[in-house]
Amino acid sequence: MACLQLTDKLDDYVDGALPAAERGALDAHVAECASCRESVARERWLRSLLKDYGDAAVPLPDDEYFDAALERAAAVGARQRRQRWLMTGFGGAVAASLAFWIVTSAPLVTPDVNEVPAAGIPAVTMTLAEPRTVNLVFSAEAALEDARLTIELPPGVELEGFPGRQRVSWTTSLRPGANLLPLTLIASEKADGELLHARLELGDDGSSFYVRITAI
Amino acid sequence: MQFGSNKSGSGRGQFERLLKPHMPRLFRLACRLADSRADADDLFQNTLVRVYQRLDELRTLTDPASWLSRVMYNLFIDDRRRYARERLRVVEEGRLPGRGIDGLAAAGADLADVLRGERLALLQRALAQLGEAQRVVVLLHDAEGYKIREIEAITGDPAGTVKSRLHRARQRLRELLPDLLPDDGTFS
Repeated sequence: MACLQLTDKLDDYVDGALPAAERGALDAHVAECASCRESVARERWLRSLLKDYGDAAVPLPDDEYFDAALERAAAVGARQRRQRWLMTGFGGAVAASLAFWIVTSAPLVTPDVNEVPAAGIPAVTMTLAEPRTVNLVFSAEAALEDARLTIELPPGVELEGFPGRQRVSWTTSLRPGANLLPLTLIASEKADGELLHARLELGDDGSSFYVRITAI
Repeated sequence: MQFGSNKSGSGRGQFERLLKPHMPRLFRLACRLADSRADADDLFQNTLVRVYQRLDELRTLTDPASWLSRVMYNLFIDDRRRYARERLRVVEEGRLPGRGIDGLAAAGADLADVLRGERLALLQRALAQLGEAQRVVVLLHDAEGYKIREIEAITGDPAGTVKSRLHRARQRLRELLPDLLPDDGTFS
């Protein structure tokens, strides 16, 4: 009976994972049973061999190897991160509709379907001389550092705080997930579906998105 | 929520600082999972690339060791699945996956070293006959000293499953190595 118990509990017995009482009973049995004593010794031998294998089979490379691996990873990782973002964030009308919302009142609300033309370009209608906040939401899969964001405005539409400027450009970083850019626009002239052009550039890559502006 | 203001270059430095202490252990894990040193190099490198892409996540972790191992393990499993599909095409060419790392540490000239080398080679052949899941678990636990809960965190398998695989792997090794004896031929 005790031999069977040891067979069942051999792993835990050798690992020292049995409760004290159970271990004590098996200790007593092993002391008297030559066959079980050999089983335990064989198991311990196998464990020591596996440990020896662990030490012998993996000679560690030197620091130079690790430094070069880090260097390559940073270069490749940064490139792939940029490429993935450009593909998923601005890869066409469907992708863009997921990655970029335009909100005419509350932030992070998708536009009224009636304001989105069939072509998939978001649209906003403004009243002349009345400031209107348009929230642009950029969805980035991973952080993007030092991206260049440029906003080009249609004629007669200005960005609050930048009078007389049709083009405003600055460097920014995007966090993973949704990044909100509120733009307060003021129309001084009528506009009939003119395009606001938002362009994000990172290194040699870049992508554009458009918002149709109507001012009445 | 507004646009962030991370400065260029800080990510690279942080990446190195956060990763470096874990690299030897991560490299060993790659060797344990992969079939050859070349595959281990690839797995290790690809893991670093993946981690770089998830640097923001890494920054938030207080104990990144398990997370890093998990990233590597998931990549390994993905590669395995891909390989399983590819293998359907190459099996006719007689190519089967290799097992074990290329070459054990060099044995010395004396008899004890030669015997040790032979025993380790036998063990390596026995390990190669285990199923993938059993082989990984027994190597992580018994050769590398990972705890059950650590293997649970890496593989995503419940502790009970890990323990049961470990038990079956050892049982199979005992069957495959019935004549393996210590240097003096005794256990007493």
